[in-house]
Amino acid sequence: MNEKLRRLLTPEGVRDLLPEMAGQKRELEKRIQASFSRWGYGEVSTPAFEHSANFVDEMKAELTDKVYRFLDERGRTLVLRPDFTLPLARVVATHLTANPLPLRLCYGGDIYRYTHGQQGKQRVVTQAGVELIGSGCAGADAEVIALAVDVLQELGLVEFTFCLGHAGFLEGLLAAYEVAEAERETIKFYFNSKDFVSLKTFVQSLDLSENAKKAVLRIPWLRGGKEVLGEAAKLVPGGAADEPLSLLAEVWEVLADYDASKYITLDLGLVRMLDYYTGMVFEGYTGGMGYALCGGGRYDQLLGNFGSQKPAVGFAINVDHVLKVLQRVKEMPALSKLVFVGYGTKQRAAAFVEAARLRRQGERVLVDVQERPQGAAWAEGERLGAAKVIYLG
Amino acid sequence: MVNKEWLTVALAKGRMLPPALELFERAGIGCGQLRETSRKLVFTVEEHKLRFILAKPMDIPTYVEYGVADLGVVGKDVLMEQEKELYELLDLKIGPCRLAVAQKCGGGKFNGGYVATKYPRVADRYFQGQGKQAEVIKLHGSIELAPLLNLADAIVDLVSTGKTLSEHHLEEIEVIAWITSRLVANPGSYQVKGARVTDLLQRLEAVLIEEVAKPC
Repeated sequence: MNEKLRRLLTPEGVRDLLPEMAGQKRELEKRIQASFSRWGYGEVSTPAFEHSANFVDEMKAELTDKVYRFLDERGRTLVLRPDFTLPLARVVATHLTANPLPLRLCYGGDIYRYTHGQQGKQRVVTQAGVELIGSGCAGADAEVIALAVDVLQELGLVEFTFCLGHAGFLEGLLAAYEVAEAERETIKFYFNSKDFVSLKTFVQSLDLSENAKKAVLRIPWLRGGKEVLGEAAKLVPGGAADEPLSLLAEVWEVLADYDASKYITLDLGLVRMLDYYTGMVFEGYTGGMGYALCGGGRYDQLLGNFGSQKPAVGFAINVDHVLKVLQRVKEMPALSKLVFVGYGTKQRAAAFVEAARLRRQGERVLVDVQERPQGAAWAEGERLGAAKVIYLG
Repeated sequence: MVNKEWLTVALAKGRMLPPALELFERAGIGCGQLRETSRKLVFTVEEHKLRFILAKPMDIPTYVEYGVADLGVVGKDVLMEQEKELYELLDLKIGPCRLAVAQKCGGGKFNGGYVATKYPRVADRYFQGQGKQAEVIKLHGSIELAPLLNLADAIVDLVSTGKTLSEHHLEEIEVIAWITSRLVANPGSYQVKGARVTDLLQRLEAVLIEEVAKPC
């Protein structure tokens, strides 16, 4: 490829969206935000870049080598936002301290992360999400999950599942069996990637009691309805995981009242790698898609890092993934047909009036850029892909 | 039967197919029709609502990644080379062998140089991890030729008995990884068809445990 052509292409991991696709994506974002708004969530907009200290201190290993950093004119390090939860936590801790709790906030926009190795991974991802701040109860956990279910339903998706787990369950189990810190991290890593073969090999190699090994290796099977909670409780000695399990039972009950529990699979092996999750975690999937459509959880410590300790729970939808699914099942919001308005001599003003009238009715209207004879105007309309041509002559 | 959803499993054509079919059969899933030598690439087992597709080993992670297949049976060597985000659910213990570094007999310690392999990414990662400079050359087959013709100083390839190596006057010097076939899942299928996947997983695991318990 010659150098000139190479310069015309986008760098790896980013891409252009052409009118049809970009229009569909914008429409999808609008519909998601409309759902958030109907649940009483207020939109917050934060800048695309911030001081690196806001992010790098908080996010630890999972994200630090993935953020885009650059310098401002005074040599301070800035980062492009790698997620929305941290900026929102900052906003809450600085500008919204006087607002009544719980706060219901939502956001939408692009996040930026270096991706490595895997093919087809985008470095700019469009997210839309919510944060419910200031309530630590199961009702708040269930509300954000029910909202996520509602959004996917509103978008016309039928076949989807939310898996629901708790960051404290595996942690409690490993602590109860006195698994060493470094080994816990490795175990969590294998659960996160659902590499159960490596998990088994690793756990078998550890110096642990047979009961402990059996318990850890049983976790991947703890998937399904409410009944898995009972079995899970028996795996953990001394009730070390009772709190997470009873919380999950309560969230399940609330979700049943939302009529949303049919979309939920409890998955006690669900681990999300970001360090800031402290409670319930969940991810939404649809059949055949190799990645989550949305995910989130509770992070009660994070706001404390910004000087204002408050419980918080939230989730983000990956808009690009949802768009891909909707395109596959052909549920894309169709744009209205294009109308072409042509005009003859001295009819320009009348044509503009007619076009304005149609636009007020919500039509998409193209007006010719010059006067033409009727036949030529029809041909022009057809050439531009209009479904209907109106001619004022 | 857990429910009525179909489950699609991608299997590798070639020498790994008969042991994979045997495993499914012992798990109570009759798939005798796949043994018939025909050009058919898609088979359905109505009774279990299972669909099998036959593909090249290297393509199986792709079929699973894109959800064409919910599950796949594929060698760990292929998974290591491709690094897709698939769930690795079960070691099926099929086709045990190792991914190893080999060189001409009597070559001494390998400290870097040209390496021929079908697995360039694995080789790159491995030698980088060892702090050795290796120039990796991708070949598609007959890797043993490379050192003999002085195209490479060493090779990275699958070794099971070591017979092929010794026939070409090559010796195995390091093992990179122990390889068997794995059952992998598409993350979406794993969640949405959870009950079906768990059911199949349980059947296969039961057979594998029985095998281990069997006295030799």
